[in-house]
Amino acid sequence: MSNAKNPLHIPSPFQADNAVLTEGQQEQEHVHNVYQAIAPHFSATRYKPWPVVEEFLMTMPPGYVGADVGCGNGKYIGVNPRLFLIGSDRSSNLISICAERGHEAMVSDGLSLGYRSGLFDFAISIAVIHHFVSPERRLAAVEEILRIVRPSGRVLIFVWALEQSGKRDFDKNVQDVFVPWALPAKPAPKKEKSSKGRGRKAKRAPELTQEAEQEAEQEAEQETEQDSSTTSSVTTESTTKSLTTPPSTVVENADSSAPEAAPVFKRYYHLFRQGELEDLVMSTGKVKIEKQGYDRDNWWCIAEKTST
Amino acid sequence: MLQCHVKGCNANNFPLELQEVVLEEQEAELNEDFLRNMLGKLEYEALVATCLKLNIQDLPPTIPEDAAYNDDFLQKLHHALLETHVITGKMVCPNCQHTYVIRDGIPNMLLAEHEV
Repeated sequence: MSNAKNPLHIPSPFQADNAVLTEGQQEQEHVHNVYQAIAPHFSATRYKPWPVVEEFLMTMPPGYVGADVGCGNGKYIGVNPRLFLIGSDRSSNLISICAERGHEAMVSDGLSLGYRSGLFDFAISIAVIHHFVSPERRLAAVEEILRIVRPSGRVLIFVWALEQSGKRDFDKNVQDVFVPWALPAKPAPKKEKSSKGRGRKAKRAPELTQEAEQEAEQEAEQETEQDSSTTSSVTTESTTKSLTTPPSTVVENADSSAPEAAPVFKRYYHLFRQGELEDLVMSTGKVKIEKQGYDRDNWWCIAEKTST
Repeated sequence: MLQCHVKGCNANNFPLELQEVVLEEQEAELNEDFLRNMLGKLEYEALVATCLKLNIQDLPPTIPEDAAYNDDFLQKLHHALLETHVITGKMVCPNCQHTYVIRDGIPNMLLAEHEV
């Protein structure tokens, strides 16, 4: 990653330990591999549709064909049964969860979807574009979504906001960060020496799951957001550190903070400033913005494709 | 609905040819709105050709003029599109021969970095 790609000349989090990786490899390590590893736990924390997305889907005419690009566990695919929504995700483990739920879903990369052009009446991209590591790749991801949507088709995009003011208070000068995801300790190591410790941990697993949801993931569901202040500070600390220190310390901190420490994965995020999402989408020259807003720590917009 | 997206493979890259297929039938609720909408999106000849290879022979060779309100036809289309699932198989590009694998009902459309 060169500073030329970073208008603010702020070191990318990758420069600390991954200087030799290509952008694709950075995403492989800090996005794809992470979601592969955390898929079941991630999925267990993802069940309630966000209201903006739900309304977008529920107001689509019956019979419309849509793409959920970066669908995760497919929590939006069944929201409106009168639609035909096809999911795709880079993580085969998340897509397996979709398939188990009986959803149409395939493994595909957001930069190169296997769909025919202009096929879809609409598309959604919920909390996905912020995982691409450069402005060029984020633009390419938006372009690819627009490619598969027909003219006058609509696209709903959500991305994480820099300005979020909840549990997280991001440094407003740093847009490229690693955000840890802490797995509950129990299912992590395959070979476990102390079965007693494991048993104790297992009982605490639901609590830890809740905590990880609240602390390691700002895309939190509404109902779990309320009591975030009661959770432990361990993850919070490492979260804060990840923004200001080399990323490798995140894992060390987390590991040394507890004898039965849960594995912590560093997910890459680009935090969008206000207006940045609209600028990105408009820069394709193929859309008009129909609606935009801020919800649950995310900027979102609905764009209509005006030309191919 | 899928096409080959290997870099430089831009012509004759549709439809992907299904090979070594294991099919499974699953009943699904008829959604006429969806089927009518699909009429405008389908490459019908490609669908019929694909179905014939899979031994699904009840679709007429050309799309009926009254397709949108032809219950018999819509039912057959419904069966082909929504009730017939490829559980295992391969999708081969007719142009560059790239093979995409379907496993457990999940197509894998990922390409190697140099193919994107």
